Amino acid sequence: MTESELLNKIKSNPAVFSELFKLYYKPIFGYVLRRTGDFDDTADITAETFFKAFKYISNFSYNGISIKIWLYRIATNEVNLFIRQKKRHNRIFERLKLEDNELFNKYLNEDRRESDTELQKNDQFLVILKEVKLLPVKYQEVISLKYFEGKDTKEIAEILNIKEGTLKSLLSRGLEKLRKNAAKFNF
Amino acid sequence: MIMDSQNFEDRLRQVTKPEVKELKHQDMLADATAKGKDKSVVSWWWLIIPLYIILTLVMKSIYMPNTSFISNIQELTSKQKLTSSIFFLILPIIFILISFYNIRKIYFLSGNPKSVIFLKAVWLDILMILFSILILIIYVL
Repeated sequence: MTESELLNKIKSNPAVFSELFKLYYKPIFGYVLRRTGDFDDTADITAETFFKAFKYISNFSYNGISIKIWLYRIATNEVNLFIRQKKRHNRIFERLKLEDNELFNKYLNEDRRESDTELQKNDQFLVILKEVKLLPVKYQEVISLKYFEGKDTKEIAEILNIKEGTLKSLLSRGLEKLRKNAAKFNF
Repeated sequence: MIMDSQNFEDRLRQVTKPEVKELKHQDMLADATAKGKDKSVVSWWWLIIPLYIILTLVMKSIYMPNTSFISNIQELTSKQKLTSSIFFLILPIIFILISFYNIRKIYFLSGNPKSVIFLKAVWLDILMILFSILILIIYVL
Protein backbone atom coordinates (compact mmCIF):
# COMPACT_ATOMS: atom_id res chain seq x y z
CA MET A 1 0.00 0.00 0.00
CA THR A 2 1.37 3.44 -0.94
CA GLU A 3 1.44 6.34 1.52
CA SER A 4 -1.28 8.08 -0.46
CA GLU A 5 -3.57 5.01 -0.29
CA LEU A 6 -2.90 4.65 3.43
CA LEU A 7 -3.72 8.31 3.96
CA ASN A 8 -7.05 7.97 2.14
CA LYS A 9 -7.88 4.84 4.16
CA ILE A 10 -7.17 6.61 7.45
CA LYS A 11 -9.28 9.59 6.42
CA SER A 12 -12.25 7.33 5.69
CA ASN A 13 -11.66 5.01 8.68
CA PRO A 14 -9.70 6.43 11.67
CA ALA A 15 -9.13 2.90 13.06
CA VAL A 16 -6.63 2.34 10.20
CA PHE A 17 -4.39 4.87 11.96
CA SER A 18 -2.84 1.88 13.77
CA GLU A 19 -1.11 1.08 10.44
CA LEU A 20 0.80 4.32 10.80
CA PHE A 21 1.92 3.14 14.24
CA LYS A 22 3.19 -0.11 12.74
CA LEU A 23 5.20 1.74 10.11
CA TYR A 24 6.57 4.72 11.99
CA TYR A 25 6.22 4.39 15.79
CA LYS A 26 9.55 2.64 16.28
CA PRO A 27 11.64 4.98 14.06
CA ILE A 28 10.10 8.07 15.66
CA PHE A 29 10.52 6.58 19.15
CA GLY A 30 14.18 5.88 18.32
CA TYR A 31 14.70 9.43 17.05
CA VAL A 32 13.20 10.97 20.22
CA LEU A 33 15.21 8.57 22.41
CA ARG A 34 18.42 9.63 20.67
CA ARG A 35 17.51 13.25 21.32
CA THR A 36 16.46 12.99 24.96
CA GLY A 37 18.39 9.95 26.21
CA ASP A 38 15.52 9.19 28.58
CA PHE A 39 12.86 6.49 28.15
CA ASP A 40 9.99 8.19 30.03
CA ASP A 41 10.37 11.52 28.27
CA THR A 42 10.64 9.66 24.95
CA ALA A 43 7.48 7.62 25.61
CA ASP A 44 5.51 10.76 26.47
CA ILE A 45 6.83 12.85 23.58
CA THR A 46 6.32 10.08 20.99
CA ALA A 47 2.79 9.37 22.22
CA GLU A 48 2.00 13.09 22.03
CA THR A 49 3.46 13.18 18.50
CA PHE A 50 1.17 10.40 17.30
CA PHE A 51 -1.81 11.85 19.13
CA LYS A 52 -1.27 15.18 17.33
CA ALA A 53 -0.77 13.34 14.04
CA PHE A 54 -4.10 11.54 14.58
CA LYS A 55 -5.81 14.84 15.35
CA TYR A 56 -4.44 16.65 12.30
CA ILE A 57 -4.24 13.87 9.71
CA SER A 58 -7.58 14.88 8.19
CA ASN A 59 -5.92 18.17 7.13
CA PHE A 60 -2.79 16.47 5.85
CA SER A 61 -2.38 16.35 2.08
CA TYR A 62 0.50 15.63 -0.23
CA ASN A 63 1.90 19.08 -0.66
CA GLY A 64 5.56 18.31 -0.99
CA ILE A 65 6.23 16.29 2.17
CA SER A 66 5.67 12.62 3.01
CA ILE A 67 3.93 11.22 6.11
CA LYS A 68 7.29 10.14 7.50
CA ILE A 69 8.77 13.64 7.16
CA TRP A 70 5.59 15.10 8.63
CA LEU A 71 5.85 12.79 11.69
CA TYR A 72 9.51 13.73 12.15
CA ARG A 73 8.46 17.37 11.99
CA ILE A 74 5.83 16.98 14.71
CA ALA A 75 8.24 14.92 16.86
CA THR A 76 10.98 17.56 16.46
CA ASN A 77 8.55 20.27 17.50
CA GLU A 78 7.46 18.25 20.55
CA VAL A 79 11.07 17.56 21.63
CA ASN A 80 11.94 21.26 21.23
CA LEU A 81 8.89 22.26 23.29
CA PHE A 82 9.97 19.82 25.99
CA ILE A 83 13.53 21.20 26.02
CA ARG A 84 12.43 24.84 26.04
CA GLN A 85 9.90 24.36 28.82
CA LYS A 86 12.53 22.47 30.86
CA LYS A 87 9.91 20.45 32.65
CA ARG A 88 8.42 16.99 32.42
CA HIS A 89 6.26 16.45 29.42
CA ASN A 90 2.53 16.53 29.97
CA ARG A 91 1.61 12.92 30.82
CA ILE A 92 -0.40 11.97 27.75
CA PHE A 93 -0.98 8.42 29.04
CA GLU A 94 -3.24 9.88 31.73
CA ARG A 95 -5.37 11.60 29.08
CA LEU A 96 -5.78 8.52 26.91
CA LYS A 97 -8.31 5.80 27.57
CA LEU A 98 -6.25 2.63 27.81
CA GLU A 99 -8.11 -0.66 27.76
CA ASP A 100 -6.00 -2.24 30.49
CA ASN A 101 -3.86 0.19 32.49
CA GLU A 102 -2.10 -2.55 34.44
CA LEU A 103 -1.06 -4.45 31.33
CA PHE A 104 0.02 -1.24 29.61
CA ASN A 105 2.22 -0.28 32.59
CA LYS A 106 3.70 -3.79 32.60
CA TYR A 107 4.62 -3.47 28.91
CA LEU A 108 5.93 0.04 29.49
CA ASN A 109 8.17 -1.16 32.34
CA GLU A 110 9.54 -3.98 30.17
CA ASP A 111 10.24 -1.53 27.35
CA ARG A 112 11.91 0.83 29.83
CA ARG A 113 14.26 -1.94 31.00
CA GLU A 114 15.18 -2.83 27.39
CA SER A 115 15.71 0.79 26.49
CA ASP A 116 17.84 1.56 29.56
CA THR A 117 20.07 -1.44 28.79
CA GLU A 118 20.43 -0.25 25.21
CA LEU A 119 21.33 3.26 26.37
CA GLN A 120 23.94 1.93 28.81
CA LYS A 121 25.53 -0.13 26.03
CA ASN A 122 26.13 3.08 24.07
CA ASP A 123 28.04 5.07 26.67
CA GLN A 124 30.08 6.99 24.09
CA PHE A 125 26.84 8.17 22.51
CA LEU A 126 25.55 9.33 25.91
CA VAL A 127 28.73 11.37 26.42
CA ILE A 128 28.26 13.18 23.11
CA LEU A 129 24.49 13.56 23.66
CA LYS A 130 25.13 15.26 27.00
CA GLU A 131 27.25 17.86 25.20
CA VAL A 132 24.81 18.25 22.31
CA LYS A 133 22.05 18.98 24.84
CA LEU A 134 24.05 21.94 26.14
CA LEU A 135 23.85 23.63 22.72
CA PRO A 136 20.92 25.87 21.72
CA VAL A 137 17.92 23.87 20.40
CA LYS A 138 18.44 25.08 16.79
CA TYR A 139 21.85 23.34 16.73
CA GLN A 140 20.66 20.26 18.65
CA GLU A 141 17.99 19.43 16.08
CA VAL A 142 20.24 19.76 13.01
CA ILE A 143 23.14 17.80 14.56
CA SER A 144 20.80 15.06 15.75
CA LEU A 145 19.05 14.68 12.39
CA LYS A 146 22.27 14.74 10.39
CA TYR A 147 24.66 12.63 12.48
CA PHE A 148 22.42 10.48 14.70
CA GLU A 149 19.57 9.85 12.24
CA GLY A 150 21.65 9.95 9.05
CA LYS A 151 19.19 12.20 7.21
CA ASP A 152 20.36 14.07 4.12
CA THR A 153 20.24 17.84 3.72
CA LYS A 154 17.00 17.85 1.70
CA GLU A 155 15.16 15.69 4.26
CA ILE A 156 16.35 17.79 7.21
CA ALA A 157 15.33 21.01 5.45
CA GLU A 158 11.86 19.51 4.88
CA ILE A 159 11.53 18.31 8.47
CA LEU A 160 12.54 21.68 9.90
CA ASN A 161 10.77 23.65 7.17
CA ILE A 162 13.87 25.75 6.48
CA LYS A 163 15.97 26.52 3.40
CA GLU A 164 18.96 24.27 2.65
CA GLY A 165 21.30 27.27 2.86
CA THR A 166 20.07 28.11 6.37
CA LEU A 167 20.47 24.46 7.36
CA LYS A 168 24.07 24.33 6.12
CA SER A 169 25.04 27.40 8.11
CA LEU A 170 23.28 26.06 11.25
CA LEU A 171 25.09 22.74 10.84
CA SER A 172 28.46 24.34 10.38
CA ARG A 173 28.09 26.66 13.40
CA GLY A 174 26.61 23.95 15.63
CA LEU A 175 29.30 21.45 14.71
CA GLU A 176 32.02 24.00 15.36
CA LYS A 177 30.68 24.71 18.85
CA LEU A 178 30.44 20.99 19.60
CA ARG A 179 33.91 20.26 18.22
CA LYS A 180 35.49 22.91 20.43
CA ASN A 181 33.91 21.27 23.46
CA ALA A 182 34.97 17.80 22.26
CA ALA A 183 38.46 18.17 23.69
CA LYS A 184 36.96 18.76 27.17
CA PHE A 185 34.86 15.59 27.20
CA ASN A 186 37.50 13.35 25.65
CA PHE A 187 35.47 12.32 22.59
CA MET B 1 43.46 18.45 21.69
CA ILE B 2 40.88 19.79 19.20
CA MET B 3 40.06 17.32 16.45
CA ASP B 4 39.81 18.64 12.86
CA SER B 5 36.32 19.11 11.39
CA GLN B 6 36.34 16.14 9.03
CA ASN B 7 37.58 13.70 11.67
CA PHE B 8 35.05 14.99 14.13
CA GLU B 9 32.18 14.54 11.65
CA ASP B 10 33.35 10.99 10.93
CA ARG B 11 33.49 10.20 14.66
CA LEU B 12 29.94 11.51 15.11
CA ARG B 13 28.70 9.31 12.28
CA GLN B 14 30.58 6.24 13.46
CA VAL B 15 29.68 6.29 17.15
CA THR B 16 27.17 3.49 17.85
CA LYS B 17 23.71 4.81 18.69
CA PRO B 18 20.96 3.24 20.80
CA GLU B 19 18.43 1.39 18.64
CA VAL B 20 14.83 0.51 19.41
CA LYS B 21 14.18 -3.19 18.74
CA GLU B 22 10.72 -3.94 20.08
CA LEU B 23 8.12 -1.86 21.86
CA LYS B 24 5.51 -3.94 23.64
CA HIS B 25 3.30 -0.98 24.57
CA GLN B 26 2.96 0.11 20.92
CA ASP B 27 -0.27 -1.74 19.97
CA MET B 28 -2.18 -0.71 23.10
CA LEU B 29 -1.12 2.89 22.58
CA ALA B 30 -2.24 2.75 18.93
CA ASP B 31 -5.75 1.64 20.03
CA ALA B 32 -5.96 4.30 22.74
CA THR B 33 -4.78 7.04 20.37
CA ALA B 34 -7.44 6.21 17.79
CA LYS B 35 -10.08 6.56 20.54
CA GLY B 36 -8.52 9.65 22.12
CA LYS B 37 -10.21 13.02 22.27
CA ASP B 38 -8.50 16.33 22.77
CA LYS B 39 -9.86 18.61 25.46
CA SER B 40 -9.56 22.19 24.25
CA VAL B 41 -9.26 24.68 27.09
CA VAL B 42 -10.41 27.72 25.16
CA SER B 43 -13.89 27.83 23.73
CA TRP B 44 -14.96 30.41 21.21
CA TRP B 45 -18.34 30.47 22.97
CA TRP B 46 -16.80 32.98 25.38
CA LEU B 47 -17.24 35.51 22.60
CA ILE B 48 -20.98 35.03 22.93
CA ILE B 49 -20.90 37.25 26.06
CA PRO B 50 -19.88 40.52 24.34
CA LEU B 51 -22.04 39.59 21.32
CA TYR B 52 -25.00 39.08 23.66
CA ILE B 53 -24.39 42.48 25.30
CA ILE B 54 -24.21 44.13 21.87
CA LEU B 55 -27.46 42.44 20.85
CA THR B 56 -29.25 43.69 24.00
CA LEU B 57 -27.97 47.21 23.28
CA VAL B 58 -29.26 46.97 19.72
CA MET B 59 -32.63 45.79 21.04
CA LYS B 60 -32.65 48.62 23.55
CA SER B 61 -31.97 51.18 20.84
CA ILE B 62 -34.84 49.77 18.77
CA TYR B 63 -37.47 49.58 21.51
CA MET B 64 -36.48 52.47 23.82
CA PRO B 65 -37.37 55.91 22.49
CA ASN B 66 -34.67 58.59 22.25
CA THR B 67 -31.79 56.11 22.38
CA SER B 68 -29.35 54.93 19.78
CA PHE B 69 -26.95 52.02 19.65
CA ILE B 70 -23.92 54.33 19.93
CA SER B 71 -25.37 56.21 22.91
CA ASN B 72 -26.18 52.91 24.61
CA ILE B 73 -22.63 51.70 24.11
CA GLN B 74 -21.26 54.99 25.44
CA GLU B 75 -23.55 54.73 28.47
CA LEU B 76 -22.39 51.20 29.16
CA THR B 77 -18.70 52.00 28.81
CA SER B 78 -18.95 55.02 31.11
CA LYS B 79 -21.00 53.24 33.78
CA GLN B 80 -19.27 49.84 33.61
CA LYS B 81 -15.69 50.73 32.78
CA LEU B 82 -14.07 47.53 34.05
CA THR B 83 -16.67 45.08 32.75
CA SER B 84 -16.88 46.74 29.35
CA SER B 85 -13.11 46.85 28.91
CA ILE B 86 -12.88 43.15 29.84
CA PHE B 87 -15.58 42.00 27.42
CA PHE B 88 -15.06 44.52 24.62
CA LEU B 89 -11.31 45.01 24.66
CA ILE B 90 -9.27 42.39 26.58
CA LEU B 91 -11.33 39.32 25.62
CA PRO B 92 -11.38 40.05 21.84
CA ILE B 93 -7.63 40.82 21.84
CA ILE B 94 -6.90 37.54 23.66
CA PHE B 95 -9.09 35.65 21.18
CA ILE B 96 -7.39 37.27 18.18
CA LEU B 97 -3.97 36.24 19.52
CA ILE B 98 -5.13 32.68 20.34
CA SER B 99 -6.71 32.32 16.89
CA PHE B 100 -3.57 33.46 15.07
CA TYR B 101 -1.49 31.07 17.17
CA ASN B 102 -3.95 28.27 16.43
CA ILE B 103 -3.91 28.95 12.66
CA ARG B 104 -0.09 28.87 12.68
CA LYS B 105 -0.12 25.62 14.70
CA ILE B 106 -2.65 23.94 12.37
CA TYR B 107 -0.59 24.97 9.31
CA PHE B 108 2.53 23.47 10.83
CA LEU B 109 0.92 20.29 12.16
CA SER B 110 -0.97 19.66 8.94
CA GLY B 111 2.27 19.60 6.93
CA ASN B 112 1.80 22.84 4.94
CA PRO B 113 -1.62 21.77 3.54
CA LYS B 114 -3.23 22.99 0.31
CA SER B 115 -5.17 26.24 0.68
CA VAL B 116 -8.68 24.74 0.38
CA ILE B 117 -7.99 22.04 2.99
CA PHE B 118 -6.28 24.58 5.21
CA LEU B 119 -9.23 26.99 5.00
CA LYS B 120 -11.59 24.16 5.94
CA ALA B 121 -9.47 23.48 9.01
CA VAL B 122 -9.20 27.07 10.19
CA TRP B 123 -12.55 28.59 9.22
CA LEU B 124 -13.66 28.75 12.86
CA ASP B 125 -10.49 30.61 13.85
CA ILE B 126 -10.96 33.07 10.98
CA LEU B 127 -14.58 33.59 12.05
CA MET B 128 -13.41 34.19 15.61
CA ILE B 129 -10.89 36.82 14.45
CA LEU B 130 -13.60 38.60 12.44
CA PHE B 131 -16.03 38.55 15.41
CA SER B 132 -13.33 39.87 17.70
CA ILE B 133 -12.41 42.67 15.29
CA LEU B 134 -16.10 43.60 14.99
CA ILE B 135 -16.42 43.82 18.78
CA LEU B 136 -13.23 45.90 19.01
CA ILE B 137 -14.46 48.32 16.29
CA ILE B 138 -17.80 48.75 18.06
CA TYR B 139 -16.03 49.43 21.36
CA VAL B 140 -13.48 51.87 19.93
CA LEU B 141 -16.12 53.82 17.95
